Formats: sequence, structure tokens, C-alpha cells
Amino acid sequence: MTDLRWQPLARDTAAAEVIAAPVRSYWQDVRARLWANKPAVVGLGFIILLVLAAIFGPMLSSHSYRAQDLQLANLPPVFRLNQVGDGKLVYVNAGNLNIYEVDASGHVIGNIGGGRRDMVNRRTVWEIDGAEVALDYSQPSRGPVLMENGEPAPVWGRVWNRTYLFGTDQLGRDVLVRQMMGARISLAVAFVATLVNFLIGVTYGGLSGYIGGRTDLVMMRIVEIIATIPLTLYVILMMVVLQSGLISVVLALGTVFWVDMARVVRGQILTLKSQDYVAAARTMGAPTRWIMVKHLLPNTIGPILVTATMLIPSAIFIESFMSFIGLGVTPPEASWGTLTSDAVETLRTYPHQLFFPAAAISLTMFAFNFLGDGLRDALDPRLRQ
Amino acid sequence: MASSALSRLPLGYVLQRLALMLVTLWAIITLTFFLMHIVPGGPFVSEKMVEPEIQAALDAKFGLDQPVWRQYLTYLGNVLTFDLGPSFKYPGVSVNQMIAEGLPVTAQTGLLAVICVVGLGVPLGVVAALNRNRWPDTGVMMVATIGAAIPSYVIATVALYVFALRLGWVPTFGLDDWRGYFLPVFALSGFWLSFIARLTRSSLLETLDQEYMTTARAKGLRRGQILIRHGLRNSLIPVVTVMGPVIANLLTGSFVIEQIFALPGIGRHFVLSITNRDYTAIMGITIFYAALLMLMIFIVDLLYVFLDPRIDYRRRA
Repeated sequence: MTDLRWQPLARDTAAAEVIAAPVRSYWQDVRARLWANKPAVVGLGFIILLVLAAIFGPMLSSHSYRAQDLQLANLPPVFRLNQVGDGKLVYVNAGNLNIYEVDASGHVIGNIGGGRRDMVNRRTVWEIDGAEVALDYSQPSRGPVLMENGEPAPVWGRVWNRTYLFGTDQLGRDVLVRQMMGARISLAVAFVATLVNFLIGVTYGGLSGYIGGRTDLVMMRIVEIIATIPLTLYVILMMVVLQSGLISVVLALGTVFWVDMARVVRGQILTLKSQDYVAAARTMGAPTRWIMVKHLLPNTIGPILVTATMLIPSAIFIESFMSFIGLGVTPPEASWGTLTSDAVETLRTYPHQLFFPAAAISLTMFAFNFLGDGLRDALDPRLRQ
Repeated sequence: MASSALSRLPLGYVLQRLALMLVTLWAIITLTFFLMHIVPGGPFVSEKMVEPEIQAALDAKFGLDQPVWRQYLTYLGNVLTFDLGPSFKYPGVSVNQMIAEGLPVTAQTGLLAVICVVGLGVPLGVVAALNRNRWPDTGVMMVATIGAAIPSYVIATVALYVFALRLGWVPTFGLDDWRGYFLPVFALSGFWLSFIARLTRSSLLETLDQEYMTTARAKGLRRGQILIRHGLRNSLIPVVTVMGPVIANLLTGSFVIEQIFALPGIGRHFVLSITNRDYTAIMGITIFYAALLMLMIFIVDLLYVFLDPRIDYRRRA
């Protein structure tokens, strides 16, 4: 019996050509690498959620971002409730010395009015269910204390604010809706400004790199001059001239930050244009525009994408910076910058109000930075350290 | 060493850079001048109706009755003689006075912030790189990532609330007390500290992988010597490169910080003149800032030659 293991196999030319591993295009590769990078995926997920919340959130909410209700100003997201009268739950706002009736599940029923201010004894007195309820603020060091018939009112417990999930601001507007409107404006500013930068930068850098020679020299000198101008100053000047408002912010940011993009694109085009396939295309009579759009730009898409992803957070940063010093969007519109500066005004009495806009900006920064890093690694694995 | 470094820095190159700076400065002056002149309404337009005679007298006093090109030439001439003109909103105060008054404060906090950025950022980055993927690295990188994501004004206000209002360790405003410097410098340098720490780390990691490091170790050099002479010297070059722009950003970042901590620096004057629509002050301070920043970047670029023997400006000049 012959051992089959030592017999030659039948020749099969077709089998030799079979490629066992699945063929993956560049973009499939990129996707796989990006998918393997957990922080980048989390960042991407966060950004998608944020965009959805910014678009649909204000539509779904029952509150309006501009409706003011001064009776319900400065409510916190979590109530510490006292029980008074026949089991009524009240929340004491230590900042403006009002008391509010809240139900057991955390819905705000309303401001309890009709209080009699007793200036001499430094207290406000209400009549609730026949009991005399007084808010005693005579001793600033321990803060206001709610008294019922002369005894401190019992603490019932803490409950989330169900009517206004994030509380209200100093004009009684719902913070959650304003936060989502702020996301809408901040993101819109960032995306549009980045798009404008992208168009100007790619065109400018592409032309400069492709034409080359003296044109390139002059165009790059101009870029050099623009790059030496401190751009924050220029944005501020633009805002002073254009008057505050959404469109001005976009215009100011969009026309300034294209310099980096132009440099990146030019550098890429310079190396690419000496490649053989470009020469081949030119020999076949392809017009300049065709070569640019069909051959050169698709190959520079990686660095362009990375630069754009990094531009978005800096645009958000600068927008909030501008709004913070009062040059951004005008009220009642809200951006994260104006929300922060509003919260800073009431920092002493309501420090929690700063939390939401600050967290929103910081988390968005994280998300975009992680996504940008991930994209860079995914698009160009050689850069990976 | 120094002589060879100087020879790599030809006069032609320096002059070329200076010329470029002057052109840029001229562009900035022109840009700011015409930007401020297309603002709708004059600087003296307010809700209050002003008598036409008074308006005319005001216009004549500030030269606003002249044609625009003439105003432009006058302004350009004045700036060349370092005269930035009078303030529109504060009678009797010149923009030069405003700058002279604010500069020491801004320069002090700015300088401390730069020292803080370099003095803390670089060592932190080195510690992180030498302990790659161990807890010091993870810790530094985590703090650095957080520091880069939180806007400076949030850091400033939170720090102000916690350390000044709640704990009372430092004064809430002003610089009369030496402790008053802590928070502004901390808030000002936060972002760039993180940035420099990350840059130092990645740059040093790259250097440590190089073959000459192995060679140095094979020669039997001491660990500290290798790290300082071969590792740090090479890996700090990218750090020095970004220092010019970093200083520039620290200075412009001071607008908000000075506002929050009520420091009487240039940044505060600038923000105030924006809210007051004090056009000459806006123009003057912008130009001063731009000139200062360009000068910083220029100086850093020149110092570069002394630090990196591979930089040779002769070829470029």
C-alpha cells in the first residue's frame, strides 16, 4: 500500500491563483483599524449622540429655550425637600429665599407665594395648611433654615428634578433645552466654519502645490504672513466689525483658520504631483481640473480629514471664548460659551450651573480629540507610535 | 560652539525675517485701520444726540473730518514713531499710556506662566516617557488629556470658586499679595502645560528608540548622562519649535484670565475697549499685541540655531 502523503498533488492552475485572505480595500482597512481603537469609537458615538440631541432634542422637549419664568428661576437638578403642613414637600432655594412646592416624584408644582417678609427678624412667613412656616435667614453663617411652628421642618429627602432635568437658569429657562440649543449652535458654528476652511484651504493649497514655481512661492509667502498674525486677535476684530451674531462668528472663524489646511494640502500635492500616474494622466491629455479632482485630492483625503477633525474642536473652543467675552451669539440664543458666561455670573450662589456647559465643552473636546487621533492612526498606520 | 552657531545664522537671513515682519506688521496696521473704519456709525455715535457743533469739534480734534486716506497715512506715520494715538472713550488717556500701564502685569503673569509651562511640562513629559505604560505615564497622560479639553476660563472660574471663595487660600482678585499669582498663572498655563507634557513625552519616546541611544548605552555611559546629553537634547527640539506660538497663545489667552481675576493687564484693557467700542484703543492694542507676538516667535526662531546644530539658515537665505 503506497502512502498517499508522498504522492504529488494534481496540478490545478486555477487553485494557484486563488487568494485565500479576503481582499480589503483601503477604506475597509481604515474602518477596521478605527473600529479597533476604543477611545475613537467612543468619541464617534458621543459625537453622533450629541448631534442627534442637538437636532431633535429641542423639538422633543416640552420646554422652550427662550420662555422665561422668573417664578421658577435658579432651580437645581436635585431637590433637598422639607416636609411641612399636612405632608407638603417644599424645596428651599437658598439663593433667592423662595420656597417651592414639589411632589414626591420630583415634579415642580410651583412657587409658594403669599409669603410675608418680616424684615426685623430676618425671616419670611407663610401660612401652609394652618401651620406657620417660616424661612429664617437671620444667621448668614448657617444659611437659611425652614421652621414650622418654631421647630426646624423635618428633612424628607432628596429627589431628582423631573420637570427640569438639569434645573433652570437665572431667568427660569430650562437648562437642558438651552444646553441642547447651545450644542446646536456650537456644533453648527464648528461644522460650517470647518467646511468653509476646508473649501478655501483645499483650493488654495491645492492650486499652490499643483501650479508650483513662482506662484507657489508668492502664495506661500501670503500664507506665512497670515500665519504670523495672531488669529484670535483677527477673529476678535472681525467680530467687532461684523457685530455679534451667529453668521458673524461663522464668517470670522471660517475665513481665518484655513491656513493650516492649505499648508497640509500643498505639502501632499507637492509630493503626489511628481508621481508617474499624474504624468500619465497629463500625457493622455487630462485637464488640470480633472487631475486635481480625480487623481490628486482623493489621495490627500487622509491628512485633510485629520486636519478637519482637529479644526472642529478648536472652532468650538474659539467660539465659546468669543461668546465668553461677549462677542458671540446674541441672547436669547445660547451657545456653550454664553451658557458658561451666564453660569459664571451666578457662580457664588449656584455653582452647579457651571457644571453642564463646562462638561459639555470638555466632553466634546475629548470626543473630537480621540476621534482625530484615531483617524490619524487609522488613515496612516506608519505614523503610529 | 557659539561661533559656529552664529555662522549658521547669516545676517541676510535675519534681515529677511525682519523685512517680512515689517511687511506683516504693515498688513496688520492696514487691515485693522480699514476694518475699524468700515464699522457702521462713527465712534461718537450714541443714544445721546450730540450738537452738530460739538460733533464737528470732536471730529476735528481726532482728525475724523479728513479724508480716509489722509487719516490712514497720519495713523501709519504715528505708529512708526510709536504713537498709537489718544483713546476715544477716556479723554486725556493715550493708548500708549494704557499699554504702559498694563504691560508689567501681563508680562509678569505671562512670564510666570511660560516658566510654569516649561518647568513643569517638560519634567512631567520626561517622567511619563521613562515610565512608559506604567502608572506615572498613565497618570500624567490622563491629567494632560483633561487639561487640554477644559477651556481655560472654566479652569479659572472653578479654581477661583474652590480656592478663593470656598477655601480662602488665595485672594479672589488682584496681585497685591504674592498668593494672588497662583490661580491666574495656573489657569493661564493649564492647556499649554498639558500640550508641552504630551509633546515632550512623544518626542522623548521616539528618541529613546533611536539606535544612537543603544550605542551610547553600549559605550557604557551612565544612564543620566545618556538621558540628558543624547535623549533630552534631541527630543526637546520640537518643544522649542512650538514655544514661539505657545508664548503667543499664552499672551492672547490672558484676555479672559485677566477679566476673570480682575488683573489690570493689557488683555483686560483690550476686552474693555471692545465692550466700550473704543476704536483707537482696539486698533492700538491689536497692533501692539501683533508686534509683540511676532517678536517672540522671531526670537525663538533665532535661539533655535543655538540649540540644534542641524538647523542651518544659510541654505534658506
